Amino acid sequence: MKIYVCVKHVPDSAATVTVKGETDIEEAITFLMNPYDEHAVTEAHRLKSIFPDAEVIVVSVAKAAGENTLRSALAMGADRGILVTTDDRLDPIMTSRALQTAITQDGRPDIILTGKESIDTEGMQTMFRLAHLLEMPAATNVVSIEPQDGAVLISCEKEAGALEKLKLIMPCILAAGKGLNTPRYPTFPDIVKARKKEIKQITLAELSLPEPDSTVELVHLAPIVEKREPQELAGSAAEIAEKIVQVLKQEARVI
Amino acid sequence: MSTQYDAIIIGAGIIGAPIAYELSKMGYKTLTADARPDAGEGSTAGSCAIVRAHYSTEDGVAFAYEGFKYWLDWENYLDHVEDEKGLAKYMNTGSILIKSQGHKWQNVQKHYDAVGVQYEEWDNDKILEKVPVLDLHEFWPPKRPEDPSFFDEPTNMLDGGLFCPEGGYVNDPALSAHNIMRAAEAKGAKFIFNAEVTDVRSADGKVQGITLADGTQFDAPVVVNCAGPHSYKINQMAEGVWDGCNIKTKALRHEVMYCPAPEDYDYYNDGYHQSDGDIACYVRPEVGNMFLIGSEDPECDPQEWVDPDEFYAGRGGHGRDNQLTEEQWKAQCYRLARRVPNLQVPNQPKGVCDLYDCSDDWIPVYDKSDLPGFYMACGTSGNQYKNAPVVGSMMAELIDAVEKGLDHDKEPFQFTMKYTGRTLDMGFYSRKREINYDSSFSVNG
Repeated sequence: MKIYVCVKHVPDSAATVTVKGETDIEEAITFLMNPYDEHAVTEAHRLKSIFPDAEVIVVSVAKAAGENTLRSALAMGADRGILVTTDDRLDPIMTSRALQTAITQDGRPDIILTGKESIDTEGMQTMFRLAHLLEMPAATNVVSIEPQDGAVLISCEKEAGALEKLKLIMPCILAAGKGLNTPRYPTFPDIVKARKKEIKQITLAELSLPEPDSTVELVHLAPIVEKREPQELAGSAAEIAEKIVQVLKQEARVI
Repeated sequence: MSTQYDAIIIGAGIIGAPIAYELSKMGYKTLTADARPDAGEGSTAGSCAIVRAHYSTEDGVAFAYEGFKYWLDWENYLDHVEDEKGLAKYMNTGSILIKSQGHKWQNVQKHYDAVGVQYEEWDNDKILEKVPVLDLHEFWPPKRPEDPSFFDEPTNMLDGGLFCPEGGYVNDPALSAHNIMRAAEAKGAKFIFNAEVTDVRSADGKVQGITLADGTQFDAPVVVNCAGPHSYKINQMAEGVWDGCNIKTKALRHEVMYCPAPEDYDYYNDGYHQSDGDIACYVRPEVGNMFLIGSEDPECDPQEWVDPDEFYAGRGGHGRDNQLTEEQWKAQCYRLARRVPNLQVPNQPKGVCDLYDCSDDWIPVYDKSDLPGFYMACGTSGNQYKNAPVVGSMMAELIDAVEKGLDHDKEPFQFTMKYTGRTLDMGFYSRKREINYDSSFSVNG
């Protein structure tokens, strides 16, 4: 059994992101594995404990520095990695084509895991495009996976808080939600082992991908300036409590 | 609001607040001005608030041990004042000093004996009985993970440690400063916030008072610089003070990490504070069953001296701003991961990046200055939080003695510690001293 996990090298959500020029960000900040992909890697490791013959291969399309993210995935239990290197910013069409080609050149996937979205571009389309290219079923925001004979029974969290149970025939693509598991972070022995694991590097050009008919191009990147308008609530404790309830109900609409 | 005071304290952190408290108890009408919105919100908030007695000098040990008594008796120290935010809590975990080449622990033991610090010698078996998650191999010297030899297999074993049962940490350092502010206010002290000092005025060779950014002036015959990482800027505002210091201070960037404890180990409830020079880390429990991992500043790590205003504004770029860096995250977590092999190291750095107000020899300056009426409690170098209540008492007595005519430079003030009964020659902390080469030149002091 081959389990491929697609991981993305993204800026740390806690970093101060500065826009550089029209479409770039200052990259001298911490980059790490997309947090949703951590759930995908952790799940792959769990599946491997169910299928001891399974091999977990992590795949990324990134600049050369993306090796750090693959190395993190290897420390979290993946067996080997494939890094498709490019200095270009790819749209989801090209990313999915690169992933498809890198994966199919390597082997025949039984399960492909991804995170349900990446925290940088939040496009939420690469896994569906990949599924289309590979003619596989896909499900997103997966919070439980139970392998059955040649299939997986899964639960997906829907927006309204409902849980959808699905059966997908393998091979299939599953996009991990936060509820899937608690990420398994590496210990020192894991980190040492990961240093020796193989990462195969291929340039994007070497994949000879066909140019798509249409593309998405980033034309401008601007920071969102968060506006805070604090207001002081005056009165007795009971009056203030009443006003807080009103704010939560009418402005924040959380109750 | 009055503009005339007996003493103005610049900085309402863990050093300024106790000085205000003690001076107020002595009858001084004090004003404490702080650029932040509340007490303890500057670099105090980023302190690891460790309370330990191991220092490189006997006076350092004695001073810290005196401080223990305040933390162990916090409510009494505060004269049972009420704080609407609640009281900071002393977490008396006990403190382990690992015997290693990274600490002159033989000196520490000698100083413990001289001062009368309670301690036990633990061998490796005893340490493992108390902290079963440790690998007690020797990893010396500290390295960075970028260095391939970081991953070399160790061969030698460490040789136990010194356990000090009264050690620990304070759970909320900012709150502890706030508590002291409330205690000081109960004795008549005034505090103002969002009050950035832009000038220290003087006339006829004597300090006159301070001017704030909005132009407000406050006058007092005594001004005390407790501005933490901004202390060097305040010293430069006061006539003749900077040039009169042989020991200078500047702001040093440092990072502290939070890393989850191994799953089967309740570090938060069962763990100790531990100083481990072998891997150049100190650790203590943090909420969420985390290891808080501080660095003992090994030579292989970069030192970034920064402008505190730029730093707190998030400017300066990678490794110089107030963001954790991936490189240092890995360095500190991996070092601890060698000692705690089942430590899980997340991909995302989590922790605190703040500043030390660092002196040339990592020993503070508690002194008068060349400008009569201007005093300094600065250069705390990341190692004075635990001593702060004692500093408050000592500085108040020094100020009172000098204002009453003592020539402290000629005949240094002798401070008698309330609990240990020892006398400390305050010349030890003089701005005029030569660099003290007995110092560890690190956060260890």
